[in-house]
Amino acid sequence: MRSLVPVVIAVAVLALVQWLTSTSPYFTYLALVVGVNVVLAVSLNVINGMTGQFSIGHAGFMAVGAFSSAVTSMALNEYRIGFLPAGVEHQFFFIISLTVGGILAAACGFVVGLPSLRLRGDYLAIVTLGFGEIILVIVRNTPKLGGALGLSGKPQHTTLFAVWFTVFLVILFSRRLLTSPHGRNLVAIREDEVAAEAMGVDTTAYKVRAFVVSSFFAGVAGGLFAHFQSIIAPGDSFSFVRSMEIVVFIVAGGLGSTSGAVVAAVFLTLLPDAMRAVFIKFGGDNESLAQSIDQLRKPIFGLLLVLMMLTRPQGLFGTHEAWDWLKPKKKVEPQKGAAT
Amino acid sequence: MSAEPLLHAKKVSITFGGLKALADFDLEIRKGDLQGLIGPNGAGKTTAFNVLTGVYLPTAGDVLVCGERVNGRRPHQINRLGLARTFQNIRLFKQLSVLDNVRIAVLADRKPLFDRERVEKLKRSGFPNRLFGTGLDAIDNYRDWWRALLRTPGFLREEEGIEKRARELLDVMGLSHRVDELAKNLPYGEQRRLEIARALGTKPRVLLLDEPAAGMNTREKADLMVLIRELRTRFELGILVIEHDMKLVMGICEKLTVLDHGETIANGDPSAVRADPRVIEAYLGEAPAHA
Repeated sequence: MRSLVPVVIAVAVLALVQWLTSTSPYFTYLALVVGVNVVLAVSLNVINGMTGQFSIGHAGFMAVGAFSSAVTSMALNEYRIGFLPAGVEHQFFFIISLTVGGILAAACGFVVGLPSLRLRGDYLAIVTLGFGEIILVIVRNTPKLGGALGLSGKPQHTTLFAVWFTVFLVILFSRRLLTSPHGRNLVAIREDEVAAEAMGVDTTAYKVRAFVVSSFFAGVAGGLFAHFQSIIAPGDSFSFVRSMEIVVFIVAGGLGSTSGAVVAAVFLTLLPDAMRAVFIKFGGDNESLAQSIDQLRKPIFGLLLVLMMLTRPQGLFGTHEAWDWLKPKKKVEPQKGAAT
Repeated sequence: MSAEPLLHAKKVSITFGGLKALADFDLEIRKGDLQGLIGPNGAGKTTAFNVLTGVYLPTAGDVLVCGERVNGRRPHQINRLGLARTFQNIRLFKQLSVLDNVRIAVLADRKPLFDRERVEKLKRSGFPNRLFGTGLDAIDNYRDWWRALLRTPGFLREEEGIEKRARELLDVMGLSHRVDELAKNLPYGEQRRLEIARALGTKPRVLLLDEPAAGMNTREKADLMVLIRELRTRFELGILVIEHDMKLVMGICEKLTVLDHGETIANGDPSAVRADPRVIEAYLGEAPAHA
């Protein structure tokens, strides 16, 4: 039961943060966007970082989760559970629709994972890219999913607590995965597939599993995203550019490093907003000057990434984890890993 | 000596396009055997290893591991039957620690939900049963993921067992001072030893060593050969070694198989093989006519 201690702590802390920030909508909104990105980055890291398979269709899995959970919760909205107070009922329905989104995305992950048994590197990347596009085409042509205009009128269930609790879960998941035989097998595939196979690792099964668990979390992230946006359309938020953004997070953070993915996702998501805040100041009262400076944001963002890759090609953290530096060098504790 | 060979190749042949890389290759390894597989470059030694371990599918003939026919099975399945190997061009998990390299190979000592052998049999059978077997396997695996994520006491115990066994093996191979280092930072000779430690982690009954002494100096080679003999008795293994250094092979192997252009040109105990004119020809070229 000691393994559940961090969960209890996380619940308490997040509840407190939610209560403290309930009066600040801008902060809450940013926290939601950042949180969703962190979930996406950490989950993609399971495929790209740990297993070494190159997937650039993560937004596709997110879209599956977003639309399916949105449709589910809109359908559930018709029903009432009499004896429950409205708030509890909403959260209950919310959890159901997130789970539906996650499971459907995981099912897609399974299907997309299958070709990865035969395809490597660039070829697999093309398949995942194609998957992302196919999802968007399907959504655009399905009136039930809102078509090209997008889906609106969804219940707005997402709270800071829900998003950051998912963040907590996905990080805990990644971390415990990596220190278990399953995670080690994934990493073995990244390091040398032939050797992993020769050492008894069922490489095909593990590659598919990596896709399944990763896309499950992407689906949940999509569900969370869908429930705080007033409208979800098959445009920017699920496009190829979005997929690349997530890849950029994990490459910048260091492929294979969960904490790197978290830090990079937080930093790179906030960077444009932070730059806006700064640049608007430069413009002063001059409206047009402020705007033209603001337009520099995108090039500067790109330049920063290029600089970073030049100076630290292995990413912010390499394959290391922040918590590796925290713990003492030589560990002799008997209950290893029990508390985390 | 047991009657049933642990590793048995029966008239195995493999062709790539028109090239016959291995022809009618026969091999029997029993418990306690220490056999050498030699031959000039390109003779098909590594190809033989790859066929035995399931990397290549033999064009003809059968490979039996512990009495089971393994043609067409995947390398990891063959490994689980008790056949482990090392690689000629070292294939360690370079970015991982020495300990992790071995830990990946060590299988957790846990009781599966369903009888392993039955599941494996189901998975190899026809259409409906195969799905059933895969399903059982998936359920078992699903449960194991949850155990790992929830850190159940049983899981932690297994992890300790895995680590203990990995450390033991590293100790045997004389690498216990390197446990926390990255595999890529090890000197060449130690990398080769780590490969053997990793192979031993899978609890093999037959160990295939592909040029384990390549790149080592004479002293290291001599030490390694002593170690290989020790391993055989300690882990009750049958061992098949590919090696170029004739002196060493002659020194430790009790039986030799010589390959040339994919064909077995000699088979038997070292002194007889050394005297075989075909072997001399393969290695040194045709004997002068007046001899």
